[in-house]
Amino acid sequence: MLTTGELALLGRLDLVYRRPQSGLYSGERRSPRSARSPEFSDFRPYVHGDDFRQVDWRAYARLERLVLRLYVAEEEACLNLLLDTSASMGLGQPPKWGAARRLVAALAFLGLAAMDRVQVGTLGGARLPPLRGRDGVSRAWAFLERLEPEGRAGPEDLRRQRWTRPGLTVVVSDFLADGASAGGVEAAEAAAGAWAVPLAELASRRQEAVLWQVLAPDEERPVVSGDVRLVDVESGAARELTITPGLVDEYTRALAAHREGLARVTRAVAGRFAHSTSADDLEAMMLSGLRVGLVKRG
Amino acid sequence: MSLLVPLAALSLLALPAILLLYFLKVRRPQLQVSSLLFWRPHVSDRQANAPWQRLRPGLLLLLQLLAAALLALGLMRPGLIGAAGVSSTTVVILDASPSMEATDVAPSRFQAAVARARQMAGQLGPGQQMAVILLGPHPELLAPPTGDAAVLRAALDRARPAGTRGDFAEGVSLANAILSGRPGGSIVMLSDGHSLPPPTPPRALAPLTYESIGVTGENAAVESISRTANGTIFLGLANYGREARDLKVDMVADGRLVDVLPVHLDGNTTADLTWSHLPAGTRVLEARLAPDDDFALDDAAWLLTAPPPQHRVLLVTSQNAFLQRALQLWPGLQLTTQKPADYRPGRYDLYVFDGWLPPGGIPQPALIVDPPAGLGPVPVGGQVDPGEVLPGNPQDRILQDVDLQDVHVQSAGAVRSVPAGWRTVIAAAADPLLLVREGGQPGAVLTFDLHHSDLPLRAAFPILVQNLLQYLMPGGFENQVFPLGQPVSLQVEPGTRSVQVVTPDGRTVALPSPSTPFTDTTRPGVYTVRQRLASGTRVSNFVVQLQDPTISRIAPGAAPLVQAASRPAGPAPRGTLEIWPWLIAAGLLALVLEWLVYLGVPVRRLASRVGWRRRLEARA
Repeated sequence: MLTTGELALLGRLDLVYRRPQSGLYSGERRSPRSARSPEFSDFRPYVHGDDFRQVDWRAYARLERLVLRLYVAEEEACLNLLLDTSASMGLGQPPKWGAARRLVAALAFLGLAAMDRVQVGTLGGARLPPLRGRDGVSRAWAFLERLEPEGRAGPEDLRRQRWTRPGLTVVVSDFLADGASAGGVEAAEAAAGAWAVPLAELASRRQEAVLWQVLAPDEERPVVSGDVRLVDVESGAARELTITPGLVDEYTRALAAHREGLARVTRAVAGRFAHSTSADDLEAMMLSGLRVGLVKRG
Repeated sequence: MSLLVPLAALSLLALPAILLLYFLKVRRPQLQVSSLLFWRPHVSDRQANAPWQRLRPGLLLLLQLLAAALLALGLMRPGLIGAAGVSSTTVVILDASPSMEATDVAPSRFQAAVARARQMAGQLGPGQQMAVILLGPHPELLAPPTGDAAVLRAALDRARPAGTRGDFAEGVSLANAILSGRPGGSIVMLSDGHSLPPPTPPRALAPLTYESIGVTGENAAVESISRTANGTIFLGLANYGREARDLKVDMVADGRLVDVLPVHLDGNTTADLTWSHLPAGTRVLEARLAPDDDFALDDAAWLLTAPPPQHRVLLVTSQNAFLQRALQLWPGLQLTTQKPADYRPGRYDLYVFDGWLPPGGIPQPALIVDPPAGLGPVPVGGQVDPGEVLPGNPQDRILQDVDLQDVHVQSAGAVRSVPAGWRTVIAAAADPLLLVREGGQPGAVLTFDLHHSDLPLRAAFPILVQNLLQYLMPGGFENQVFPLGQPVSLQVEPGTRSVQVVTPDGRTVALPSPSTPFTDTTRPGVYTVRQRLASGTRVSNFVVQLQDPTISRIAPGAAPLVQAASRPAGPAPRGTLEIWPWLIAAGLLALVLEWLVYLGVPVRRLASRVGWRRRLEARA
């Protein structure tokens, strides 16, 4: 699914979790709990029952008080990757489906390489059991390769997801859900606002949300013109239009408003919003991740 | 309200056409998209595309109908009668005499005059009209009175200088015809004062303003070129300017410079040069003055060294000195005179029988003068008094420059009926006097004895004989010199299929018929005639040359004199104010609005930017 060169690129990158992660197993992620580790965290007064081995005897020599030296615990993090498999992901030139699938594969690789607990699934509900370690990469990729874009997906599908452990949830989609009878800037803002409630619920389950929008270049700037009959591939709804440069400009403004709305609702839950096009290679997509702080150089 | 172009009402058919297009269904290609989220439903009437569905009024449709209606009304050129104030008509007479080709005014006098006329056309106000007359040998109405500057400019684009001097009297006469019944008119003449002066000042129905074109009179010319029997070339040069000039004459033989002759010419003098170095075998010799001056038409002269075509003519007469002398005037004519008793038919280009006809067949072509009664192709009867001599057709080429006013015929043979294929050239009150045969072998019959008429004593007689010879003997133009602007009768050989003339500037002019005179002789130089015959192509030449010293004196002349005539009385009519520019502008504005709506530009936002929001809201 990814080339050797792309794997080498990913080898120099790492995921960024804004909150310390607490997992079942020790890992490479900063934990909210204190433990033995090379990284110093804080001091605290000794209380009865504390482990004598953690007493800082040098501090006792200076202060004549018993204080404990605390260290940062490093535990595994939980990474949830959700891919939109609705029919609209199969459209675009080049199709968005390939780019979105490769993006999820790359993020899964990053998580598994860092010994995170990675769970790959779809907005529709299909989900692979949690994976851990580099051994899970092939299983995750095989799962992704079996998927095909079909059906519909929307914000309600995100609400149906069940989360057992806190972590980072990345949703890769075009976020072009049906439901607006009227188009335009107002409708686009409303459609983006529909993701606010699912994201809030996601945050309440201690999930750090990342929305990653993948669109095709001809969806970012349509090249169609003249009299056409546009058909929504998911709902089958049709609209007859005479597409003029003015109408395309309005489309572009609506798209910008939609993105701004998605970014706003994501920020509201302390999440992050990234976007890329299906024409971008993996390096360009990772740069988008770097820009929003989802990826860092390891 | 009046409509100047009512036929343009047909453009109103665009309205039902627009409605028809709205009824028809648009076949739209289908395209799958991820979502309709960003596509706002556009102007609603574009979705009303079911076949033959009921028409729904919409903003776009209304704007389109409004634009079409305004444009159609504009095309009909409606005008408000009497709203444009007092109308006036200006007749511009544009002198097209050859001297107007002088370049002392850039680019030339004629072009400067055309530019001035254009300027006047551009300055016409509402209700004002202008007409343009091109003053050539026969004045031509380039543009009838109109207030449309575009029509006037298009007419001025067609203006070309003529080869001969313009007839001023005829120009004023044509201007009078235009201005009759139009009080408040005026005549503007754009000229250098070289048009043909009338014997008496013509009467003008409106004041004439003369605008002189041209600044200088400096000009030198090659007046003539000829060759003697021993091959010596004679050149006649003239300096029509005031200043002395040192010139050179380039002698060009068949396109190759062979000699340069220096010459000094004082102001207003002439000089003759001889030159005897003509290379053997030269066909065309050109003498050209150098350096060029402001008038190029007379800077060169051409000599065709080939002799004029030889014609053998047999005159059979008892005694007719008038006829004999007139025939001998034709260059290259070999005349053989025989008495009827000595008549021996031979090979001649023309047979002239005077008062006698051979008993056997009459050889052709033949000019028969005073045929015996009952004989000949046009049988004549006894002698009668024919009465007043009149031209059969004043435009007949055989009567060109022939003045019959003072010609009298005492007696002539009565012609009972004109045979088929013959036409009357000179008629009398009772009978035809001169008939010629049309088509086939040419022939002519003069029905009276020249001694019974004063025609031989008139200047018209030798001209009439020359014209008859031209008609009866084709090929009379070859190696001849003709004045600039004069039509040349290309009397081609019988059986000629087509005739082409190559002008000095390289243009090829095909004559519509072989008998049509060639009139495009406005450029001096050597003209080549190609006659296509059944046996092949015959090529011959003739020369056109400026031979009029009055034209070569290019100094601007004085204003021509006119007499005031009784001018049209009555109040000046009021002009019609044309409102089509406003209608067209409104139509275009409606189109722009329709386009903005079509592009999806929010009209309200646009309106608010220019401060119309409050007004729109108030109206709402």
